[in-house]
Amino acid sequence: MRAGNRLGVIVFPAFDWAISPTHPERQERLLYTQDQLREEGIFDIPGITEYKPEIASVEDVARVHFCIPDVASVTTESHLISAGGAVRAARLIMEGQADKAFALVRPPGHHAMKVVHGNRGFCNVNIEAVMIEWIREHYGQKRIAIVDTDCHHGDGTQDIYWHDPNTLFISLHQDGRTLYPGSGHLEELGGPNAFAKTINIPLPPMTGDEGFLHVIDNIVIPILNDFRPDLVINSAGQDNHYSDPITNMLFTARGYALLNEKLSPDIAVLEGGYSIQGALPYVNCGIVLAMAGLDYSFLREPDHDAQRLRQDPRVTRQIRLMTDAVLENYFRPKRKDFPDPGTFISRRKRIFYDTDMIADEQVESVMRCSECAGVLIIESDSSINPPALCIEIPLGACARCREAGLQRHEQQLARGRHRILQLINRPDKIYENRSV
Amino acid sequence: MRLGLDVGGTHTDAVIIDTSGIVCSVKVPTDHGNLLSSVMSALNSVLDAAPTPVSAVHLSTTLTTNALLEGKTEPVGVLVSSGPGIHPLHHRIGDAFFVVDGAMDHRGAEVLPLDAAQLGHAANACKERGIRSFAVVGKFSPRNTMHEKLMAAALAGQADFVTSGHMLGGRLNFPRRITTAYFNAAVWRTYNSFADAVEEGLRKLGIQPDLAILKADGGTMPLAASRSLPVQSILSGPAASIMGITALCDVQGDAVLLDIGGTSTDIAVVAGGTPLLAPGGIGFNGRQTLVRAMVSSSLAVGGDSVLRASAGGVSVGPDRCGPCMALGGSVPTLMDACNYCGLSHVGSLEASRSGMEALARLSHRDVADVAREAVSRAVAAIKSAVDALVVAVNEKPVYTVREMLHPERIAPKKIYAVGGPAHALSDALSSAFGPNVVVPRQHAVANAIGAAIARPTCGLELYADTERGVKLIPHLSLSAKVDRSYALEHAKEDARRGLLSLVAAESPTDIELVEASSFNMIQGGRLAGKTIRVQCQIRPGIEESYLPAFRRES
Ligand SMILES: [Zn+2]
Ligand SMILES: [Zn+2]
Repeated sequence: MRAGNRLGVIVFPAFDWAISPTHPERQERLLYTQDQLREEGIFDIPGITEYKPEIASVEDVARVHFCIPDVASVTTESHLISAGGAVRAARLIMEGQADKAFALVRPPGHHAMKVVHGNRGFCNVNIEAVMIEWIREHYGQKRIAIVDTDCHHGDGTQDIYWHDPNTLFISLHQDGRTLYPGSGHLEELGGPNAFAKTINIPLPPMTGDEGFLHVIDNIVIPILNDFRPDLVINSAGQDNHYSDPITNMLFTARGYALLNEKLSPDIAVLEGGYSIQGALPYVNCGIVLAMAGLDYSFLREPDHDAQRLRQDPRVTRQIRLMTDAVLENYFRPKRKDFPDPGTFISRRKRIFYDTDMIADEQVESVMRCSECAGVLIIESDSSINPPALCIEIPLGACARCREAGLQRHEQQLARGRHRILQLINRPDKIYENRSV
Repeated sequence: MRLGLDVGGTHTDAVIIDTSGIVCSVKVPTDHGNLLSSVMSALNSVLDAAPTPVSAVHLSTTLTTNALLEGKTEPVGVLVSSGPGIHPLHHRIGDAFFVVDGAMDHRGAEVLPLDAAQLGHAANACKERGIRSFAVVGKFSPRNTMHEKLMAAALAGQADFVTSGHMLGGRLNFPRRITTAYFNAAVWRTYNSFADAVEEGLRKLGIQPDLAILKADGGTMPLAASRSLPVQSILSGPAASIMGITALCDVQGDAVLLDIGGTSTDIAVVAGGTPLLAPGGIGFNGRQTLVRAMVSSSLAVGGDSVLRASAGGVSVGPDRCGPCMALGGSVPTLMDACNYCGLSHVGSLEASRSGMEALARLSHRDVADVAREAVSRAVAAIKSAVDALVVAVNEKPVYTVREMLHPERIAPKKIYAVGGPAHALSDALSSAFGPNVVVPRQHAVANAIGAAIARPTCGLELYADTERGVKLIPHLSLSAKVDRSYALEHAKEDARRGLLSLVAAESPTDIELVEASSFNMIQGGRLAGKTIRVQCQIRPGIEESYLPAFRRES
């Protein structure tokens, strides 16, 4: 056997780290996956290489997130290593050492939003976003598509890229009316400067291989073909598996491998997936084989039962109906009446941190802009930290947005009710955090 | 007194040592068509010269290596049972490869019983073809040996020998287990008749020493034990050389050892004075095995590497086309460049000069330039291979936050270079690597000394699952019940005792714990049991009592 694609795999199972001893995010989670990969002799296959993660720097995080009160307080080393694993995957691709890369790391990140007060949905920092912004910092403003195939809506990634017209975010997930975090509805389409660059595909419970692959073929691929990204990132959560204890889907290991083959991401990053014995060893093996361009026809779960896993025709009908609506959303979006460029548009957000039991009330304002992602201002009133004001001048900001951001920062220093003031100034690479 | 014997490409060397140093040594030509005669003739003449009987004989032979490389092996019936994953036919090896349905999962739970009809069919097919040596291998057999035992039992009536995958240890790697079991079964008969002949020959000489073979990890294994694991004797030559260097030089701390030969340069890494072992196993003839070996790499640069020159530059190797011109070869090689530069005085300097001049004429360049560039190119290639190997050692993946934050790194302080061209390249090596390059005095029988002073080495894995209530030491074919109170401490002790039983050694301080982990298995929010993994090993080393004498020798 020889891999058709040179594949780099970063395995970081964090065997000495857990959220708590019996939490799904515990030491044991990737143990059986590692056993399976080793027994398959995966890393002896010419073309597949295992790499060590890096440790992401504080700046790598601060370039993406407003961490309140600071980066050190909301992250542990394991988060920086997990994000560093994703960065290593990106480095392999960008430096041409591999054709494809898979960051098989934990803890996950896709529920971590722009502002971070603690852990929500098992996530503290958004490891894909840290990776993507690392790429852009070193290789320039790339057009990047993220396809999130975790069973939960990637609400953190959506929040971070809500205003970014250069990032297409597509999330496939179990319908938010039936599963945490409850968001990811069809009508969530992104902010005024990046409208229809956020695409949500809520799937009914009990969606099986047929449904997932239908969505990839009929929605995701046509949209990607239109967007023409420089890089495709797969947030490869594995909790759509039929044996996952915290979700309600019927996806299989071979289904995941097929999905990956069709999607052909440059980089895959592990997200959730908590059937650690019955699913993860096989799903991860399938993803590795598919990414390497190798035969996975002999791969299936020991308890796989085709009869039981067949998708109900009612589910199939629902998915077909939804397909048209999603395509409409991307190709012919009903644009809202956005105000003229140069004015701010605000929305209110209520964010709940399930793991750390934190409530956060945010007012997020973005400047309407047709030349850049728009300067972003977030006021955050949380249950644990003093009120914070966060200003982001985005990468590639136009002169007006940059000026507006700096001006607002000056004003705030002089007076204001907020006790914490943070600035992400991407064009000038300045990341400021002040207590006032 | 101990006897060390090393079968090399041109000579077979034998040496007898005692604690005061070398007692006597011989060199005889190696007859590749009849290794046994070379071995026996070297043994005979060195024993002739010995004043008192030897107590131990350590053999480093190329018998199994050559048999496998030249395909002089017997046909092997390979029976594998494989759970889901990569299709087992991708691991096909030999002409009689059979897949028998049946599967174990990663915890050793039987997913699919072994298909008795298919097993019978495979056994019959092998019988019809007159196959009498077998390899039986199951996926995840180190977690449950039952399917391998059933397959071996089904072959009992017709097999002279069966290699079961779990006998090769507890490391997880199905393809390597298949390959290694196949190699083992393929050389079993040849190896055993060789071992019989050596024992018989020594008996005729009136001595019955402890007989051991040298392995690729630089340690020894009793000949008796190697009779069922002959694959352990492959590729022991480079290991003998490395052990020779560590014996003859006071190698301490972290260091790099270079063996610069005619066609290639072998590189090994020493950490804390002991050769570092590779986590996987040695690669052989394009396939990976479970045979333990030192961390090493090899590059195709040596004294006989062919030189080519153009206006763009000089290249060294990777091919060899006979010896250097100084020794009657037809094309100029690295050694001729060394001769031209005055770095060496091998054979005919005149022949080297005319060869280098012809090369320079062809490329319209100054001959001294071409010769100097050849030497620096060769050393630069060695330097970058050494750097890459050290980086690979230091970049070895780790799986805990603790190891990420506190990485163990090696930082070689010294470079030891041996082999024909080492002396000629020593100045160039020093300017590439810095002042800490040591080129010890050449020793005519360094490899045989390496074999003589080597100690037994061994590795062993233990796996326990307290929910299933089992512990296994695959290497020992041991599988026993444990209760829920079985813990990591018990597992470490069991593994340690198992390892000592394998090497029949008494000193427990030498045991290195490679892995010792215990994970709580949580199911439905409660503790279902523990999964415990222990891996321990004895690293290669030198018998303490022989050290002082050899350090004086050099
Ligand atoms: Zn999830
Ligand atoms: Zn702008």
